[in-house]
Amino acid sequence: MLTLADLVFIMLGISALVTIPATILAIISRDLIKAVIFSALQSTFYALMFYLLMAPDIVLVYIAVSIGFMSMILILLIKKVGRYEKY
Amino acid sequence: MRNIKARDIIFIVLIILAVVVLALPTLLGSLGPLPPTNIRSIAINYLNATYNQLNPGLWTSSPEAVAAIVWDYRGLDTLFETAVFYSAIIAALVLYRDILGEKDVLKGRGLSIVVQRATAISMVGILVVGAATILHGQLTPGGGFQGGAIAAVAPVIAIVVFSRFLIDRSRLSYKHLLLVRNIALACIALIPLVPIISLAIGYSQVFIFQNQVKAVSNFTFPQIIIDVPMGGTIWFFNLFEGLAVVSAFSLAVIVIFYSEDMSRKAIEGEDIGF
Repeated sequence: MLTLADLVFIMLGISALVTIPATILAIISRDLIKAVIFSALQSTFYALMFYLLMAPDIVLVYIAVSIGFMSMILILLIKKVGRYEKY
Repeated sequence: MRNIKARDIIFIVLIILAVVVLALPTLLGSLGPLPPTNIRSIAINYLNATYNQLNPGLWTSSPEAVAAIVWDYRGLDTLFETAVFYSAIIAALVLYRDILGEKDVLKGRGLSIVVQRATAISMVGILVVGAATILHGQLTPGGGFQGGAIAAVAPVIAIVVFSRFLIDRSRLSYKHLLLVRNIALACIALIPLVPIISLAIGYSQVFIFQNQVKAVSNFTFPQIIIDVPMGGTIWFFNLFEGLAVVSAFSLAVIVIFYSEDMSRKAIEGEDIGF
């Protein structure tokens, strides 16, 4: 029988698993804008995990800083250094 | 992605291994039941004290235990955290010291009128959510920094959507933001000293950073207004921290969003040593 606590735990596991491919894609992607988007996806699921771990105070600041400001600053940087990674 | 190398496979296998190593003990119950069913003794103490009306010598009149800990029990820590944030923004501004407060050379016009109107409407919503998070900091999760970070999204999208040119001509100028930020931070530094002022009007013994009545001191900040717990100093701290964070993030964003020509002016001459 699935209790509510189990459901929370399963959701935690799923969101943790989704962050892994997002992180890998963010690292290996040569298109840096896509890398930023994957990184924001990973942050979104981390925010969900913080919420499930009952830390709403962290969620409120994590969403704004990690998804909003981080992506904005990285995109500004990419605008100055070029979008595609060559090596 | 087309030619997968052995290095990539090792990398992925290692990550999966790390996750399994972390997840298996957790699944097998090494951390106890999740979410935990018992509360640690320090948490029990905090939860018993923060909004215990029967024990006014220890309570903070804030139902939100996190805000009570952050701004009352551990208020000094948070004061120094604010000081660190203040210094960090100063450091970011110093990098651009030559061009601070100047108007940008670009004459952009922003995005289309449809986007501009839609953003103007949603910006009000962002600011209201930020203000609600700040002003309800003693009742609901969140507080000064969280609400300030939410509200600071508004100037970011304003610069992107309405163009730098329009923002430069508006009242969201460097000078005004700096003024708001300095006033807010001065207030954060002065609120802990308010109890000292009250010595002049007849209180015999007070403490710096005092919020509610203590066993040896009658001084108290407002506890409940109509039927809303106000959290005493916590509400004021949240308000000014929120203002400081909004203006600090806006300053940082305005400086970062200078065009390439202006940014180069800030760093020119560094290669030859001045």
